[in-house]
Amino acid sequence: MHDSAPTLLTPKPARGFFWNPYFQILLTVLLTAAAQILLKIGADSSRGDTSVGAWLGFNELRDWWTWAGIIAFCSSLGSWLYALRFLPLGLAFSLTNGVHIFVPVGSWLFLHEHLGPLRIAGITVIILGILLLAQSVAQAEEKV
Amino acid sequence: MSALTWTLVLVSQLALVAGQIYLKRAMSRREHNVPGWQGQMALGIATMTIWFLLWLGAMARVDLSQLMPMEGISPLLIVIGAMLFLRERLDWRGWSGVALTCVGVVLVSLSGHGN
Repeated sequence: MHDSAPTLLTPKPARGFFWNPYFQILLTVLLTAAAQILLKIGADSSRGDTSVGAWLGFNELRDWWTWAGIIAFCSSLGSWLYALRFLPLGLAFSLTNGVHIFVPVGSWLFLHEHLGPLRIAGITVIILGILLLAQSVAQAEEKV
Repeated sequence: MSALTWTLVLVSQLALVAGQIYLKRAMSRREHNVPGWQGQMALGIATMTIWFLLWLGAMARVDLSQLMPMEGISPLLIVIGAMLFLRERLDWRGWSGVALTCVGVVLVSLSGHGN
């Protein structure tokens, strides 16, 4: 599976804020968080269903929340593929950890899940991790 | 979580790593006009579809907060996969960032319900 194509920011993205690959990563994160919450609502519709169809995820397709989640996921794939054109996979994927900030916050807002001190501490640690990754990105770009 | 759910989650995570590597290779090849990117893209989409269905099945069985630690290890798996198959490198800040975010995801998931 080795690939000889260089992966570090060799091609230049189009000008403008929207086409910035890091903005596209943020868009990926927001769409993925929305998709996770929508899919959770959809998946809950088959809770208690012990058939093989529910195990493999097919029975959940009867619920329209699942489809809303699928649409959000497909949209996130568009911005993700765009970002992959310009950013190394390991770094880009690590930055998508931001989804673990938005999923608990979104679950608190829309699914009325509790947001306790441990969860807030976790979110803070994730933010610190993303800041370190951002510094790593900044240094990698300086070298290019 | 039962052994079957664990297996389901593990296979889905491996499918995620393979799928992302295929997608990255497809986009890199396309960007550098290397032929054969369509095949890589098809493999990536197929593998991601397997991940998606298995993940949806797992979500129906367990709470999102319980699944999160399993997802917490995926950035680490992806970084290792990218090192092995795409020859990507991270500096110490990058590794520390990946480690911190994984710890953060585990903390978020440990909080479970009612914490």
